[in-house]
Amino acid sequence: MTFDLSPTTVNISEERRIAENRRELVLNMGPQHPSTHGVLRVLLALEGETIVGCDPMIGYLHRGIEKLGETHRYSQFTPWTDRTDYVAAPLNNLGYVLTVEKLCGIEAPERAQYWRMIFAELSRMASHLVWLGTHALDIGALSMSLYCFRERELVLDIFEKFCGARLTTNMMEIGGFSRPIPPELPGMVRDFIKIFPAMQKEYEELLSANPIWLARTRGVGVIEPEAAISYGLTGACLRGSGINYDIRKANPYLLYDRINFEVPLGTHGDVYDRYLVRMEEMRQVLKIIEQCLDQMPADGPLSLSESNYVIPPHKSVMTTAEDMQRHFIWVIKGFSPPKGEVYMSIEHSKGELGYYIVSDGSPIPYRLRVRTPDFVNLQVLPYMAEGALLADVVALIGTIDIVLGSVDR
Amino acid sequence: MSESGRTADTAGSATADPWRKGYWGPTNPDEHPAVLAIRERFPHAYIDAVNFRDEMTVRVERDSLREVAEYLRDAPDLRYTLLNDVTVVDMLQLRDDPRFDVVVQLYSIRYRVRLRLKAGVNDGQTVPSLVPVFAAANWLEREAYDMFGITFEGHPSLRRILLAEDWDEGHPLRKDYPLRGFREYIQPGFENPAPRVPSRLRRQARP
Repeated sequence: MTFDLSPTTVNISEERRIAENRRELVLNMGPQHPSTHGVLRVLLALEGETIVGCDPMIGYLHRGIEKLGETHRYSQFTPWTDRTDYVAAPLNNLGYVLTVEKLCGIEAPERAQYWRMIFAELSRMASHLVWLGTHALDIGALSMSLYCFRERELVLDIFEKFCGARLTTNMMEIGGFSRPIPPELPGMVRDFIKIFPAMQKEYEELLSANPIWLARTRGVGVIEPEAAISYGLTGACLRGSGINYDIRKANPYLLYDRINFEVPLGTHGDVYDRYLVRMEEMRQVLKIIEQCLDQMPADGPLSLSESNYVIPPHKSVMTTAEDMQRHFIWVIKGFSPPKGEVYMSIEHSKGELGYYIVSDGSPIPYRLRVRTPDFVNLQVLPYMAEGALLADVVALIGTIDIVLGSVDR
Repeated sequence: MSESGRTADTAGSATADPWRKGYWGPTNPDEHPAVLAIRERFPHAYIDAVNFRDEMTVRVERDSLREVAEYLRDAPDLRYTLLNDVTVVDMLQLRDDPRFDVVVQLYSIRYRVRLRLKAGVNDGQTVPSLVPVFAAANWLEREAYDMFGITFEGHPSLRRILLAEDWDEGHPLRKDYPLRGFREYIQPGFENPAPRVPSRLRRQARP
């Protein structure tokens, strides 16, 4: 298009102004942007304030965990799983450990399964609290992050009491737990269940009917149910669009089939519905933990001591020659699961966390694939962002609930 | 401890078969509805069906991977609508031909059943992209291309995703790629490291 720039006509300058406004502006957001929850870089094409193109670029935190998995023995890889999603490390442990147990054909004792469920739900709570705090902080509610991290400390204290670590816990072992449960731990968990509902009421009083929060989240980032399925979303992103898929209900692992809980569903599929779904999930977490504590057998083993796939208990290693030999072989050679391939997935706080292991019968996995939920969920960002306003991008990134360590692996 | 206790597969388990909960459908391939449907609809594409740990794996010809996936998605009695994972296994150390396996994990939300599709592919051959069928395949196939160098035909923008765009050292998850890469990594600013000199301080031997 050519323009006559002579100052005599008014219309031409008007037309030129419109043409200039139509020009796309490419804006680079991240990778150090504070509201991208890590090192996500998003290229945005803007027309005025409207987004016409969106291209998320990931990989800034790529550490090659799958390649590392092909060089470590099965038991050595558990600490690496902590590093994928570092705000919910016990859930990552759980997914990996269950996959290896399925490959080996073993199952942890009942009491260990109940404790696994408790730790998994506590770490779901910890993850949701980080999500709520940072998501609200992105949209402008600073105080939410202070409140959420205050309650998260209670959860992390429980982890610390059990295994000494707060973030990268490495608490679960193949075949159960190798550490004893401290006698004061059930009391700490019960205290948390007692304290938390009042705290959650505080959050909801601050947010759920807040006009600013409603204006920023309602009708923003709508995902249609068909699109949610096509994009492979799982977790709260899928349930926010009204699709009932929770692995704990659909294909129960551990002992979730003995627990009575509900799966919250959204109706509109917008940011606000996903917020409501996750808030309700936090309430269900308390319900699940309470039932676990009530149903749990008072005494019993925490680890399989009979199986060759599991490290023998310390006491028998020190007292019996046979277990000392088993321990030596377990440490030096590792154990060899049968040849085959398994895929096992659990309901992570962000969606479906799947591990796919191909075993060639050696102590090292032939191929170890980590299917993280947020990597797949993040694909929907361009779908939500195109046509939205620039100011909504932080709300859209926050609502997917990503952790870049888990996206990039 | 008895000898049988050491090698027993289900030693000490609370229930005998924890995952037998209708997770992957019938264990016999001749009874599995998806396997039967693929056999009937795509006799030229079906190769075999393997069951391990109750998980059903159907191997198909790579050329018809997209048609099979589309059929599984749309068939009213199957409805494998959710694409969970697309990944690749490099079978270099296990067999000669074909070298790679493209592995597709499907899930049926309505019937709560999983299924795994596999298609063998050699280096230099292409696989039909699943993006027209499932939007979720976009990044998963980009990752497979990035890590293994498998080309997916019909993918809208097949470029690297996790590694840098100008990565020139091949595809790191292949089995012939060394763990530390082909080149020695030198930290920027440390191109000329200081020479190592023996310390004057001798470390005391531990008593």
